[in-house]
Amino acid sequence: MKYNQVTPAIVSQLSDIVGKKYIITDEEKMSTYSHDETPPQYAHMPEAVVIPRKAEEIAEIVKLANRELIPITPRGGGTGLSGGSIPSFGGIVISFERMNSILEIDYNNMLIVVEPGVITSEINVSLEGSGLFYAGYPMSLLSCFIGGNVAEDAGGGKAIKYGVTSRYVIGLEIVTPTGEIVQLGGKLVKDVTGYNLKQLIVGSEGTLGIVTKIILKLSPMPRYMVDLLVLFKDTRSAIRLVPKIMMECGITPTSIEYMDQLSVKTTCDYLNESLPYHNAGAMLLIEVDGNKEEHVDADADLIGELCFQNEAIEVYVADNNTTRERIWSVRRNIDEALRILSPVQTDEDTVVPIAAITEFVEEIEKIAEKYNILIPSFGHAGDGNLHPTLLKNPDSTMEEWFETEEKALRDIYGLCKKLGGKITGEHGIGCKRKKYLNIVTSEAEVEMMKKIKQALDPNNIMNPGKIFDITCSS
Amino acid sequence: MPHREVWTLAEAGEGKLRQVSFELLSRGRKLADKLETQLCSVLLTGSMSDEDLEQLIKRGADKVYVVESPALENFTVETHSNVLLDLIKQYKPEIFIAAATTTGRTLMPHVSIRANTGLTADCTGLEIEDGTGNLLQTRPAIGGNILATIKTPEHRPQMATVRPRSTRPAPIDENNAGRIIRVEFKNNLEDKRVRRIGFRKNEDQGIDIQSADVVVSGGKGLKKKENFALIRDLADRLEGVVGASRDAVDRGWISYPHQVGLSGKTVTPKLYFAVGISGAIQHLAGMKTADTIVAINSDPEAQIFKVADFGIVGDLFEVLPSLNEKLEEVRSR
Amino acid sequence: MNIIIPVKQVPETSNVKMDEKTGTMIRDGVESIINPLDLYAIETGIQLKEKFGGLVTVISMGPPAAERAVKEAMAMGCDGGIVLTGKEFAGSDTWATSYALSEAIRKIGTWDLILCGERATDGDTGQVGPGIASFLDISLATYVSSVEDIDNGLMVVERLVEGGYEKLQMELPALLTVVKEISYPRLPTLRGKQKARVTEVPRWSVDSAGIDKNRIGLNGSPTRVVKIETPKVARGGKIFAAKDEESLGRAVDELVDFLVMKELI
Repeated sequence: MKYNQVTPAIVSQLSDIVGKKYIITDEEKMSTYSHDETPPQYAHMPEAVVIPRKAEEIAEIVKLANRELIPITPRGGGTGLSGGSIPSFGGIVISFERMNSILEIDYNNMLIVVEPGVITSEINVSLEGSGLFYAGYPMSLLSCFIGGNVAEDAGGGKAIKYGVTSRYVIGLEIVTPTGEIVQLGGKLVKDVTGYNLKQLIVGSEGTLGIVTKIILKLSPMPRYMVDLLVLFKDTRSAIRLVPKIMMECGITPTSIEYMDQLSVKTTCDYLNESLPYHNAGAMLLIEVDGNKEEHVDADADLIGELCFQNEAIEVYVADNNTTRERIWSVRRNIDEALRILSPVQTDEDTVVPIAAITEFVEEIEKIAEKYNILIPSFGHAGDGNLHPTLLKNPDSTMEEWFETEEKALRDIYGLCKKLGGKITGEHGIGCKRKKYLNIVTSEAEVEMMKKIKQALDPNNIMNPGKIFDITCSS
Repeated sequence: MPHREVWTLAEAGEGKLRQVSFELLSRGRKLADKLETQLCSVLLTGSMSDEDLEQLIKRGADKVYVVESPALENFTVETHSNVLLDLIKQYKPEIFIAAATTTGRTLMPHVSIRANTGLTADCTGLEIEDGTGNLLQTRPAIGGNILATIKTPEHRPQMATVRPRSTRPAPIDENNAGRIIRVEFKNNLEDKRVRRIGFRKNEDQGIDIQSADVVVSGGKGLKKKENFALIRDLADRLEGVVGASRDAVDRGWISYPHQVGLSGKTVTPKLYFAVGISGAIQHLAGMKTADTIVAINSDPEAQIFKVADFGIVGDLFEVLPSLNEKLEEVRSR
Repeated sequence: MNIIIPVKQVPETSNVKMDEKTGTMIRDGVESIINPLDLYAIETGIQLKEKFGGLVTVISMGPPAAERAVKEAMAMGCDGGIVLTGKEFAGSDTWATSYALSEAIRKIGTWDLILCGERATDGDTGQVGPGIASFLDISLATYVSSVEDIDNGLMVVERLVEGGYEKLQMELPALLTVVKEISYPRLPTLRGKQKARVTEVPRWSVDSAGIDKNRIGLNGSPTRVVKIETPKVARGGKIFAAKDEESLGRAVDELVDFLVMKELI
């Protein structure tokens, strides 16, 4: 695939569009735009970073890129875990840090209109006291951009009950790969007027267009929440319970988060949190919410009893922000803690049918033994979406590690396929997983995707090198 | 009617007067002058020579009340409270201020209850109200989010504790004259229910972050325990001590006596360095009264920059080494 | 060994928001929680009970809603609790609060030890613990960082003071105010919460606790708040960005010059 360089002439054209001070070409400053949260080997420097303010500017940039055959990579908060925002072929990075306004809060229609550069947690800050909230809850909500959430169809900690990002996206404004500004959907709950293109864009990892405005559906804020932190003697007893919680209690919790012993131990050591994890082989963090305190307590009791009947060692309960935060901070700090334990690692995002997670977790333990590495697993058990994190064995060289990683990943993905799962549930394929796409995706399906891509992006300039490789048609 | 005396509680350790004793005198001096009354320093101690006590007079005390007894060698609140109460009943002071040290914050409440009078903790400002002559006591509350001014209109003495180092010690004036009054210790005032049976100096030097001129604090941004070495290094170069945010202490990277903030200690040093500390109210409450605040943090939005006199937005793992380097160079000049 | 733990319900102040205009705290959305420093007293009490047996009773003076704090303490493992409530208590300062609590504690009857947090994170005075000991005329140790031993009416504790740790031997009954170092608060358990839910928390009034109305509330308080103001925090200092070698070098030079100028080095 051959692209043209970003020449000084092109830089000056770009600065005519966005203004000189909103272009970065200095190597040092550009380096932060060369990577996200994926391991360093996926990083790639851009040739220029532009920081536009409005859709019209982006449309101009895209037209220019088509004329000059230069790749474009849109970038949000840079917290991605699949390399979606990495400019794998250099070219132009479009960064959204200036497009960060909340444009409208429409209480009557229970929705909010935002620009892609808004930090996800800011949305609910802007809604404080309104009785409404945005239910998206990615673990990186304090630093990720809502635009990135849309591009990757981010999931998170409350998806069992509230679903993932796509469920709340009812309208989009995008700049197409050929530079037109298009409105998709609108302030509508229902809309089958033709193809559901907005949902095609959601999760397309910035390969089918650039989102410039987002209309999100809001939900009534539940008045009460109770979190249960349940200690189990082993992985099996914890995981086995996950589907039962919903089936036997007839309750849909907000969250069922799973943490194995290594994840909890590492994080508790990191946070100096004195949870008695030593005698616990695994933990579940279960959250229920609702509008009546008695009802929420009753649900919590029911789930708690079920846990005790299923070999729970102890059930802790948190019904105020302070205690709840203490529990959730353990869950939220696992990534950080594991990274400090072993900087060289790969965190995965496998998803299997929830009935299959018991087998999945047990097989992962075998794979860890087979390759003599640690694979702590944690994540959104209630969605069958776990994050096994492969840690480099300190005694091994980088060469050995890359070899082991490759083999272990193939085993893990093969396992996903066998169990009817997929290799990523909420992080995306990006450049990190594209070589494994065919393990779980049929040729015919990939062909459909490629045809769509080629139809919308004939010059293949829109975030190329993501999901799958494609040969330039022009 | 002339107002009665203004008292300050002197503190001694290892037979020497503590700095706070002189700080209280500069507070007390202003109040006594405004009330046109005498400033008196009160000391309960194992024993102390007139020569040493003269320091209190040179620093502004008109009188020094001293009670000496082996029973007062170490601080046990019951006995000290008995003696103070006895003095208060005998001499009926107008105002009685002590330092908000572990001693002052223990003894004063105990005494104020029995003296049936009000006490205001941890004051940052003390003034005399025009007209009434009442003591206006200003103190921060709700994590330093508000400043409350409090008075004790009807009860006497008006009692307050003030933060150590919240004012400069009264200067020495060789010409100052005053009287030392040795009050006999009444044996029946000794309370034997509590005995001090040992003292363990904190191995960790410079643990007393409240009396240090320079405090260099590290927070969550340090990422792990080992990295506190960077903070210690900087603290050494600035001849300061090491402080920490709650995050760092909660993570077990450093011990609790180092904790600055709402659930830790309040410090008012000449120079406060906040490194890798975001500046939650929790922390600001403990350090925002420092003379000069320097903040180093990678997040430009961090609250800490709001209270900083000087801030560097950047990676502390790059800033600190180059800062230490630069300081080295400056020193060698 | 029976233990009494006075707890205070406070606004969750770690991320408190202030109304810049009125200078008052924005309370909506702000939860009432157990004073975080009281949690260390509660944990210590439960540990001592586990070691020496006996009952742990929490008492909270405040609005009827303070029952929530009492029940959370019970969910952690305390055996029972009392809420001391009534409009007469409103406006009590530390003297009046110490008086009211000490009278209620007398009323509870047989106990050996009172454990308090070092101070409350809202009022931040640390005076009520010593105040109660003073009213009850029992042994007092503040800033206690460890309880080393309790043996036939004598206990040995360490207290954190300037520059080190002081070891005290004290006769029971005693009151300790404890610091964070002493323990790590456990989480409330579901079983504990269920037990707390069905346990009735008696509400004591001025009369039922035998408290002298004239010594509590605003009238019983020697001190008066005459003024409340919000201090301006912002200092608007110089901020330098250290993005690369060059800007880093500049920032550091500026800083050192600043420190020299301020005569801090």
